[in-house]
Amino acid sequence: MKKPFLIPAAALLLSLVAGAAQAAQGTVLRNDKLYAQPSAASKVAGSAAKGARVTILSKQGGWLKVTAGRTTGWIRLLSVRAGAGGLGGAGIGDVVGAATTKSDPSRVVAVAGLRGLNEEDLKKAKFNGEELGRMDAWSATPAQARSFAGQSGLVAANVPGLPEPKPAQSSSPWESNQ
Amino acid sequence: MKIKSMAVAISLVAFSGAASGIDFGKLLEERINQELNKDKQTQPAPAPQPAPNQAPAEAQSAAAPPPPAKQKIDARQLGFALFGDYSPEEEARIGKQIAGDLLGAVPLVRDDKLQRYVNLVGNWVALQSGRQGVAWHFGVLDTEDINAFAAPGGYIFVTKGLYRRLNNEAELAGVLAHEIAHVTKKHHLKVLKQSSLISELGKAVSNKAQDSDPAVQNLIGNGAEIMARGLDKNAEYEADRIGVVFAARAGYTPWGLPNVLQDLAGLPAKDNRTSLLYKTHPHPADRLAMLGEAVGGRLDAVRGKELPGRFYRIR
Repeated sequence: MKKPFLIPAAALLLSLVAGAAQAAQGTVLRNDKLYAQPSAASKVAGSAAKGARVTILSKQGGWLKVTAGRTTGWIRLLSVRAGAGGLGGAGIGDVVGAATTKSDPSRVVAVAGLRGLNEEDLKKAKFNGEELGRMDAWSATPAQARSFAGQSGLVAANVPGLPEPKPAQSSSPWESNQ
Repeated sequence: MKIKSMAVAISLVAFSGAASGIDFGKLLEERINQELNKDKQTQPAPAPQPAPNQAPAEAQSAAAPPPPAKQKIDARQLGFALFGDYSPEEEARIGKQIAGDLLGAVPLVRDDKLQRYVNLVGNWVALQSGRQGVAWHFGVLDTEDINAFAAPGGYIFVTKGLYRRLNNEAELAGVLAHEIAHVTKKHHLKVLKQSSLISELGKAVSNKAQDSDPAVQNLIGNGAEIMARGLDKNAEYEADRIGVVFAARAGYTPWGLPNVLQDLAGLPAKDNRTSLLYKTHPHPADRLAMLGEAVGGRLDAVRGKELPGRFYRIR
């Protein structure tokens, strides 16, 4: 377990370095295979166990090219998390910025200094009808949206819904009320 | 037979409840008693006259489950069955109020092209949701906070802080699709359902679009705090699954939302810009893991566009 850097400046510098380099850290989220190509039909190059650290080299569609131990191969995008936080959960974060995306200096500007939204802001908020009217004026019609989609060749595709994976420990009120 | 008359009673109550603002609990009891007595006298129940937008089929199917053997009627249970769904009008009113409150905390980015672009992408994705009769509104909020919000009735927001991190139109579509799924699954309405069993909104005091709605505000609490409370984590996982599918149905690559989650997973933990996001959502790593369980190889054959060229970049 690496010690987190507490000094924002150090984190910032590290992010910049990581962003500039091609490789990024990641953790395997579930046992999965490494393939020779970004396709499940290609030759199996090896396997990676849940919790294993990998180095992310590149990505393509739903695949990441990673090095796990001495094996390099392609693993499913959803079988790995980027960043140095390990298996995740419980808000454990990273000091190394995500580098699976292109290096972009605007991404790492003043990470610790900016103020986010908080609960108090939202609680105290007073209805703003003027802004709502502005939002209304920017809305689009279905016909405009279809035309917009057509301009770049977007075509509606028939994609079946995804099944719910095995239920989480607690029973959820959402699933029982569809 | 009994079930049917109860269903009739409920749709009647639903109708009169929606039409007037009188004491609802009392009305409910009286109506039920009336209907039960009618049943005893073997009088045919009158055909309900549902409000045009209050589908009677929905009210009846919601009312069907109560066990017919049960003699005593649990008014609370009936109330829940009855209010399993807000009418489309009520949903729109609730959404409008939440959206107006949220905009009271954060204004929209003053960039016509950006806002217009987001509305076009959002509406195109929403067309794949199958939800009819929703007036979708999309907006980019002027804050560096990294988050996105959905309110009932089709109000969707993404913050400038999150928008800046996106690389292409497919990623935007994925984020919007996750929020659209919250609306189509009525996740926030279900939260309101749980917090207030019987909620009679009555008639809107004002029909002006720009006016606050006191009855709705009373239902949703202080300001836009409902947006800070968050949803059940399973609702978030569900919205991830549905969001990926909606984006793919719109012709985008399904990997837009997962790539955004990967980006968030790599952000520093102690970052003010994500504190609200992490308070209201499971960790991105957990979301990726759950999504991975559902997806497996199911999307291997799906091809879609990323459209990095058309993606509108904030200056």
